[in-house]
Amino acid sequence: MQIRDYIIRRLLVLPVLIIGTSIIVFALTRIGGSPIGIYLSHEMNPAEVQEMKERFHLDKPVPVQYFYWIKGVTQGDLGWSGVASAPVVDVFPKKFAATMELAIAAGIVAVSLGIALGTFAGARRNKLADHIIRVVSVGGASMPLFWFAILLLIIFWVWLGWFPIGRSDPNLFEAIAHPTGFYTIDALLAGNFAAFRDAIWHLIMPAVALGYGATAIIARMMRSSLIEELQEDYVDAAKAKGLAERVVLKKHARRNALIPTVTVIGLTFGFLLQGTVVAEIIFRWPGLGRWMASAVLRGDQATIMTYVMFTSILFLIVNLVVDIIYANLDRRVVLGE
Amino acid sequence: MSPDTIYSSDSLSGDLIASVSDLKVYFQSKQGMVHSVDGVSFDIVDGEMMGLVGETGCGKSVTARAFMQLIQTPPGVLAGGSIHFKSQKQCKKCTGSGCDDCSNTGREIVDLLSLTERQIRELRGDRIAMIFQDPGKALNPGLTIRSQVAEVFQEHRESDVFERAGIADTMSGLTSYLLKQYVRQETNFITKLLLKFPPFSLARKKVDKAINGLVSDALAETQIPNANKIMERFPHELSGGMKQRVMIAQAIACNPDLLIADEPTTALDVTVQARVLDLIKDLQKRHKTSVLYISHDLSLVRRVCDRVAVMYAGKIVETGDAETIFINPKHPYTQGLIKALPSMTHERGKLEAIEGMVPELIEPKAGCRFASRCKQKKANCDKTDPELKAVSNKDKSHKVSCFLYE
Repeated sequence: MQIRDYIIRRLLVLPVLIIGTSIIVFALTRIGGSPIGIYLSHEMNPAEVQEMKERFHLDKPVPVQYFYWIKGVTQGDLGWSGVASAPVVDVFPKKFAATMELAIAAGIVAVSLGIALGTFAGARRNKLADHIIRVVSVGGASMPLFWFAILLLIIFWVWLGWFPIGRSDPNLFEAIAHPTGFYTIDALLAGNFAAFRDAIWHLIMPAVALGYGATAIIARMMRSSLIEELQEDYVDAAKAKGLAERVVLKKHARRNALIPTVTVIGLTFGFLLQGTVVAEIIFRWPGLGRWMASAVLRGDQATIMTYVMFTSILFLIVNLVVDIIYANLDRRVVLGE
Repeated sequence: MSPDTIYSSDSLSGDLIASVSDLKVYFQSKQGMVHSVDGVSFDIVDGEMMGLVGETGCGKSVTARAFMQLIQTPPGVLAGGSIHFKSQKQCKKCTGSGCDDCSNTGREIVDLLSLTERQIRELRGDRIAMIFQDPGKALNPGLTIRSQVAEVFQEHRESDVFERAGIADTMSGLTSYLLKQYVRQETNFITKLLLKFPPFSLARKKVDKAINGLVSDALAETQIPNANKIMERFPHELSGGMKQRVMIAQAIACNPDLLIADEPTTALDVTVQARVLDLIKDLQKRHKTSVLYISHDLSLVRRVCDRVAVMYAGKIVETGDAETIFINPKHPYTQGLIKALPSMTHERGKLEAIEGMVPELIEPKAGCRFASRCKQKKANCDKTDPELKAVSNKDKSHKVSCFLYE
């Protein structure tokens, strides 16, 4: 099967999966009780409460509520966020862009650093560099994110003052337009170098904090699978051709060592999204995570639904991408069978 | 080193291509040093097919890998000995006219074990090539046949590639730099990107075409049908015999002086075995390549090899003419091996076996390694090592290491 056909087939299945997920998520949030509380205030009398219930269709049975929700979604209405005091649709894109910027930055840190460190350690098995990298990765895999983030905050913000917190310098942020919502990209589009530098500067600390755990997992996987590949006959055969150590490592062994690592990378993406909640709270990052945390605490179900739906769609797409990369690396894999 | 060996310590007599002397390769293990190869000496005559026979674990593969410095250290330890090899280069001392250092061959003689990484890399795949036991494992599953065979030319025949592409004379400046990086597989992100666009991409396509031509010629040499199609396949899409042909094509691509075949037919079906064997024999004759043929199958070795060395537990026990050893084996182990070969004249259901087990090679005691299994054991077999000596004064080439013949 052609890779293109496979992608189309997977994309066709995607809506079914999304509807399935939405039913489960909707049911689960409603089990937590009616979301009416978030829309009410102390001054309202019973008649007004009733009116609110009718307005949000909360007087109907839950399955019917679901269809109202679906109807809203198709019309571009994701509900009213009590936390943001605004329609979810209005707030979501900006926050989503902020979170994605952070998650992607952390992903880049994790994938590039993880593969590089894992390769470096695997190629120098049991040497000093390997031991150091192993200690660092055990730290990354076992240290809780909130603790590591606070540690970074204390050292680099409080003591050294090297990195700022928050997402931006307000003046620079105001100075440029925000068509994409990604501060770094917007700054580049506006050609404003100071703003771009500011964006990167704010991004480094949270991205490192968030990416550390995933880096560790990827590096460990990469190291062990590279060590395994280096024992294979084809590595000796490649050396017997007179190839340089560098070519043997990069062209021959690393390529095959990436196969199991790519699967792990796909899984760590979920790990990253989950981590954004903690990272955003600690670094005062104005993204979905912080919004989400207050939404959960205050029972803002419209926000929760949107968040969970979006992250599941993202996860499904990431998995599709991982499958395609996997098939590209491991030629024995036949997609769709 | 025994005094009656035909090589001197740092040179080769005229007709030898390689000479292993007192090779010792040990491996560290938790139980102690494993003496995998313990003082092995033999010669390979230029243009001959030399067989190295022994059972699994006797150290024959380790010996072969030592030729290419392919032993991982640690856990491997090169404990001593040398492997002298006559390279294509002129002797440095006499610049080709012949002197004592090069035994009047005019060619430089190198010790493969003491070469630097860079020096051995120049020989690997070019002057010394290797065919591995299992072609299914020795080919990279993630790369096309083309890109794997091409590497040999890219590494050792850069000028041929440019010449065939017809751009050897016209190259200059940046194009030349980029294409050299491309052929040497040293491209980075930026140079790779540059090579994707004209004018560099045009020259690169010519180079690709030239490499394709070289690869397809090499594959055709091993009688692979549809070489142009096979090139684009991945190893798992080919049969075992076809894969081994690709390995052979890769090994003989640069027309090496010495080809090491490490059990090249063991992993193949019996029907394919004979054809692959004939192919190797045929190529050896046509290119006058010397071959070190490693096998556990004595009858197979008799069929193709000129001379044979029989290895047991890290030592050579008997060496000589293939026919002589087969008809008139001297060492009890060789005798046992030949008896164990099934033949048409054997009674059904009866097969001879050598009794006992191969001894542990961890910190071995002095004495003949075969003593524990030997039916003709004498008193001093357990105490001292027998040396490899000529059986008789008439036939100097037939040597055995056994006290029965002293």
